[in-house]
Amino acid sequence: MTNHWIDLRNSDVILIMGANPAENHPISFRWVMAAKDRGGIVIHVDPRYTRTSTQADIYASLRSGTDIAFLGGLIKYILDNELYQEEYVIDYTNASYLVNPEYTFEAGIFSGFQPDKASYDKSTWWYQMGEDGIQFMDRTLQDPDCVFQLMRQHYARYDLETVSNITGTPVEDLLKVYTAMGSTGRPDRVATIMYAMGWTQHTHGTQNIRAATIIQSLLGNMGMAGGGINALRGESNVQGSTDHGLLFHILPGYLAAPRAKFQALADYIDANTPKCSDPLSANWWQNFNKYAVSLLKAMYGDNATADNEFGYGWLPKLADSGNYSWLTFWPNIINGTIKGLLAWGQNPAVSSTNANWVRDSMDKLEWLVTVNLWDTESSSFWQRPGVDPAAIQTEVFMLPCAASVEKEGSISNSGRWVQWRYKAVEPPGEAEADGWIVNQLMLRLRQLYAADPGPNPDPILKLAWNYGEGEVDPHQVAKEINGWAVQDVKDAEGKVVVAAGQQVKNFTQLQADGSTACACWVYSGSYNEDGNMMARRDNVDTHPQELGLFSNWAWSWPMNRRIIYNRASVTMAGEPIDPKRALITWNAAEKKWEGDVPDGGWPPGERLPFIMRRGGRARLLGPSMADGPFPEHYEPWESPVFNPLHPQETNPALWDLEKDAKGATHAFPLVGTTYRVSEHWQTGAMTRNLPWLAEMQPDMFVEMSPQLAAERGIANGEWVIVESARGAIKAVAMVTPRFQPFIIHGETIHEVGLPYHWGYIGLVTGGSANELTPPVGDANTMIPETKAFLCNVRKSTNGTEEV
Amino acid sequence: MTKAMLIDTTRCIGCRGCQAACKQWHDLPGETTHNTGSYQNPPWISGKTRTVVTFNELEQEGALTWTFAKRQCMHCEHPGCASACTVGALRKTSDGPVVYDAAKCIGCRYCQYACPFDIPAYEWDEVLGLIGKCDFCVDRQGEGMEPACVKACPTEAITYGERDQLLAEAHRRIVADPTGYVDHVYGEHEVGGTSMLYLAGVPFASLGFPVLRNEPVSAYTEAVMRQTPTIALTVAAGASALYWIIKRRQMNMVLAEPVAAAPSIDQAAEKPEEVES
Repeated sequence: MTNHWIDLRNSDVILIMGANPAENHPISFRWVMAAKDRGGIVIHVDPRYTRTSTQADIYASLRSGTDIAFLGGLIKYILDNELYQEEYVIDYTNASYLVNPEYTFEAGIFSGFQPDKASYDKSTWWYQMGEDGIQFMDRTLQDPDCVFQLMRQHYARYDLETVSNITGTPVEDLLKVYTAMGSTGRPDRVATIMYAMGWTQHTHGTQNIRAATIIQSLLGNMGMAGGGINALRGESNVQGSTDHGLLFHILPGYLAAPRAKFQALADYIDANTPKCSDPLSANWWQNFNKYAVSLLKAMYGDNATADNEFGYGWLPKLADSGNYSWLTFWPNIINGTIKGLLAWGQNPAVSSTNANWVRDSMDKLEWLVTVNLWDTESSSFWQRPGVDPAAIQTEVFMLPCAASVEKEGSISNSGRWVQWRYKAVEPPGEAEADGWIVNQLMLRLRQLYAADPGPNPDPILKLAWNYGEGEVDPHQVAKEINGWAVQDVKDAEGKVVVAAGQQVKNFTQLQADGSTACACWVYSGSYNEDGNMMARRDNVDTHPQELGLFSNWAWSWPMNRRIIYNRASVTMAGEPIDPKRALITWNAAEKKWEGDVPDGGWPPGERLPFIMRRGGRARLLGPSMADGPFPEHYEPWESPVFNPLHPQETNPALWDLEKDAKGATHAFPLVGTTYRVSEHWQTGAMTRNLPWLAEMQPDMFVEMSPQLAAERGIANGEWVIVESARGAIKAVAMVTPRFQPFIIHGETIHEVGLPYHWGYIGLVTGGSANELTPPVGDANTMIPETKAFLCNVRKSTNGTEEV
Repeated sequence: MTKAMLIDTTRCIGCRGCQAACKQWHDLPGETTHNTGSYQNPPWISGKTRTVVTFNELEQEGALTWTFAKRQCMHCEHPGCASACTVGALRKTSDGPVVYDAAKCIGCRYCQYACPFDIPAYEWDEVLGLIGKCDFCVDRQGEGMEPACVKACPTEAITYGERDQLLAEAHRRIVADPTGYVDHVYGEHEVGGTSMLYLAGVPFASLGFPVLRNEPVSAYTEAVMRQTPTIALTVAAGASALYWIIKRRQMNMVLAEPVAAAPSIDQAAEKPEEVES
């Protein structure tokens, strides 16, 4: 989230799209209701009328996978009706930048497409640059090559009728949403956007969020209290795990993972340090070297020296064009490249798209380790229905681990608040904390490498692994994450600012010369010499307007900043854009900012607000995206209808590893989508084993409209078969007017919805929706497209039919 | 001055945190249930389930509404169950809760017949069955805490306080948003008033709430029940016998035919007609 949970109450308009927070983030609704109580308008856009829709002032349905058409129509509406905040757009976005005149968009494809690689050469999407390294700009926004005009031209096609014809949303509902959102394009009104996996899990998922960026930037809603773009993270502490480098392409603190072509530390740093000569741009990533070297010092300790590039050579490098995302695991297990799997706190046999493919892949593993609270479909994949356990040779280790309340540590919520929690009870039986398990694993690996070094033992043996032999002290880890001075850190005059052995105050004290160590720079400041800031529990709202920052409660990254890009809440002259939501104010007498921690302490007008962007401005045009600088509507990989905008039906740069077989529309005419319910959590490993939750949602079900049910002769509550090109499952039919058919190009298109929580292990069991979902992914992130695919529903012949 | 809860169904998001919190606080077991085409589960209050959120899909004037109503004992000001109880196992406390003393209960189930809200649930699966119902967390209240369901509610759909103050708040909300609410605080007058007060955006009858007179039930139940103890006991014993016969037959059927898609006997026996809406 750019903002945070409590801040939702400051919104005049809340657009909830690609999310169902009343069901999946129920606590968030405390703040959504608070916004409503203050007169705020809540909008829910979703294929299905959900528990969230019940609280919406405006509900609009849309066919799954058509969000960009919906949002593109909103962009056009804002531009046509001049609802954008002009000063904000000119000062704080790249609207005025002139783009390479060779940029084109024709027949659904942007310039630079390389069909043989299914990817783009993005060079024509870049700006026209002056000799001084600053882009050319036209602050009148009239130049035909400026971003603003290219954007206007791009979305000119997204008129109400065209959009309605794609999304299936009635025009009057589109207008209700557009009017409400458009009403915030002025200083005294603000809208926020809440989204979740309903936006990300598409072959154009990243572009859904890009469209939100454009809208919120045009309306001047970024950096504002009550504004922003707020990703509702789906897993408790998934925010923390991404912050700490969970994904293959990043190291802790969102530092790019090194590629093989960067064998020297200097090359790695150079390639990841954006250059900008504009004095107005903070270009914060120019500090990349400090964060990278401090991370290496935290990893390799005294073994990391200037002479050995701080141990950079020991870091594993990704192949230059190597992709190691989720979808690549399974074919690599099948072909023997990957021999073993650690499934730690996850259950791929249920959670992964195309689950049958995943389960079959697991049969080829030499070994599998699962770390979980329960036996899961993954740890028991070898005894799943329909397989012969004797035919599977995989050695399976099931390690029971402690639950969240059975261990001490920090947890990072969607709003970037890092909160310390305590151990309430001892874990049962042989269960151990994850930290203990990691430590034991590493200690044993180190023993093995010490005894028999092999060709490359240093990445293991040179690690500064000093967490003791038993329980890992979470305070020690948290202090390492914050960072400390390895040697005295001195300022320009030679005065010691941090003495050796002291915790750094925050990341502004980190150095590139090896004098500091820090395991995750964005968390620097969370555990400094003032103590464990994450454990703070002062619930006084210190903001003079009580904007709900609660700045002394726990700690939020970065720098305890509660709303990022908050310098965009004031003009270049330093005046709050909305005086009643004065998130930060400049105290001219004392020459300092008050309120939230600003994005840099420079006086007003000295720096642009979007400090993590090279040029300091928000991007209406996104020249670094894999699949186009402007979001464009493409149909999902599997879709029952044609794309009326152009002959390019689907995202040309989407991730289709195996060139998988699509389901034929005549056999699978229905749009299928997947989601969660309040009562279950992810793959159900926790919740389907809890009687109080199992009783509330005992069976796999499929929601469908009464019209579809009538066509198929299906009665509410009866067992039916749902099938796609990849699998078939049984589910209870839930026939409900909360689903309505869509009229697309004059044709009736039905959609059905499937919760994904069930599997074959647990107190209650059932078919897994992911047996139906496709193994194709987003062009930028490779996240699988589980939110829109083709399927069919049919009456079960006798209710006992095996699938 | 009695304590009460105001349940504003227009603020409820149906998350059922209250339903789980109730089971957690009272350490009640889960039930074996099946999806019958609704989110509502368990289907109704039982010996193991003291509160249930009902899911009510309604289409009126072309508009769809989906309203969630947490149901439990209404804690009547003049409880029919207490007046029907011949051994004093149920009584209204001065603070509001209608409490149940299992040590006194003889399992006659007069209270079930006397309750206009179909609340007291008999533990059919126990040989020496007792009555289960919401106790308004009288133990928590005694320690100055709000009921477990109130604490769990994320949207302040359930609030707890003095009855007169909650009634005033309820009327304030109706006045402030006359199109958002029906002009009726359910429980203000029904059967002489209850400690559970409800607000809704649709007529209460459409949410499965019984339409009741304003006179206390106890005024007539007492008279009736005193005259007919023998008949009532016979009926109760007969119901128990019938339950066991049906249950045994169902279990035999389940054994013979392993696919049990039908609702369990608990639901079939205990699901009242008016829950469907």
